[in-house]
Amino acid sequence: MWEKLANIDRRWLYALMIFVIALALIKPIGLAIVPSADTQKVYDIVEQLPPGSIVWMGMEFSAGGIPELMPAILSMIRQGWKDGRDLRFVCAGMWQMAGDMAEQAFSTVKAEFPDKEYGVDWVNIGYKPGGEVLLQQYQNSIIETAQGVDFYGNDLNTLPLMKEFTSLKQAKLVAIFCTGTPGEKEYIKHVTSPNNIPLIEAAISVSIPECMPLVQAGQIKGLVAGMKGAAEYEVLVGAPGSATAGMDAQSFSHALIIVFMILGNIGYVLTKNKKQAS
Amino acid sequence: MSESVITVGNWLQAFFTIVLVSAVFKDNPLYRFAEHTYVGLYAGYGVALTYFNYIRQNVTKGLMTDGEWSLLIPIIIGVLIYTRYIKSISWLSRYTICFQLGIGSGYVLAKDFKPFFVDQVRATFLPLWGSGDWWVDVSNWVYVIGTVCSLVYFLFTIQKKGVQGKVSLVGRYTMMVAFGAAFGNTVMARVSLFLGRMQFLLGDWLHLIK
Repeated sequence: MWEKLANIDRRWLYALMIFVIALALIKPIGLAIVPSADTQKVYDIVEQLPPGSIVWMGMEFSAGGIPELMPAILSMIRQGWKDGRDLRFVCAGMWQMAGDMAEQAFSTVKAEFPDKEYGVDWVNIGYKPGGEVLLQQYQNSIIETAQGVDFYGNDLNTLPLMKEFTSLKQAKLVAIFCTGTPGEKEYIKHVTSPNNIPLIEAAISVSIPECMPLVQAGQIKGLVAGMKGAAEYEVLVGAPGSATAGMDAQSFSHALIIVFMILGNIGYVLTKNKKQAS
Repeated sequence: MSESVITVGNWLQAFFTIVLVSAVFKDNPLYRFAEHTYVGLYAGYGVALTYFNYIRQNVTKGLMTDGEWSLLIPIIIGVLIYTRYIKSISWLSRYTICFQLGIGSGYVLAKDFKPFFVDQVRATFLPLWGSGDWWVDVSNWVYVIGTVCSLVYFLFTIQKKGVQGKVSLVGRYTMMVAFGAAFGNTVMARVSLFLGRMQFLLGDWLHLIK
């Protein structure tokens, strides 16, 4: 029996995983989500910003990062705009889909805040080529570096927010959403470390071990860790969304993987002992 | 966007999602088609975006309208990379590569030293007692011992015997714990990716969840 278990066709495991995830999504049981210290720090940092502060949002991800990062972006925008806090957001990125991701986020949240106006409360500069050299140039002149146009082709000189926000150094907070390189390291070395601007990040789970030394060194002030962190952030902001909805499924799928690992290891040890005995 | 466009978009998304996931069960021609479509779309989108949002802006406005002839220098350096396709003059592409390497080593690396070496080393200078919280003290001990032992592991010029051997072993176990944490996070990331797709399939496509 243990030999069969150790050599089970992996397609059965995939099918079981899909079944468990689908069941948990259709019939969630509502497991508790307790915000972690790292997510709480991100919430507190945004909460402590004076009303009207300008936040630079670095959209350093593509479509693959949407499930883990988009809920965090939506939560941050909601937190920044609710209760009259009126934070202002300037979005840009070194990744090609930066503009599309910002567009998706703001078009989702815009319906909840009909008084917010493009060009006044937020600007989407989008993707500009140049990698990390771009970050250096944004500190000199955002309009010049962005070739004078935003993601939609509007002249940046006509947008009220960009008349006030001329350099990245003027940002009160840099909030980045990363799935890889270029990402947080580029922001740390070019922007936040030299200019002493606080940096918070929402990163995909794969990047968390890499980010923890930067968090420990204080180079990243707060970290929203993957989908779980995004769910915690949604709970703190009081607007549960897709991340919260996915937590039951995530917990059960992880439990299933642990069961597979335990059974697989038991099977391995027993079959190994049997082979040695024979 | 009209309802019909959204519906067509959802059906296309669902088709490609299911076809791409089908690869874990068996490799099939539909999966290959979806994979090539994705790669082609992503590359094409990037080229179009860069051309319309940046290159055309620079060439038409900057060069032709505003007369910034200095833009010709980076344009020529950039275009030289395409000489790689013509064997007789492919050596010209080395100028572009050298320029990029120079940017990489001179401009970029110069900024790496302080944040990723000095600040990281400074972050290991932690109080080992007297912080007021016993858990913080224990964590700091684990952190410092783990860091030092992991670094000792990489001293390959000394034989791993005696004290150095035992310290290296502690370093090895520390790294194994770290790799385990990294693996756990990787699993969480992959499950999250799949969860996102399942939420789309069951929610936006089949309307089985809100």
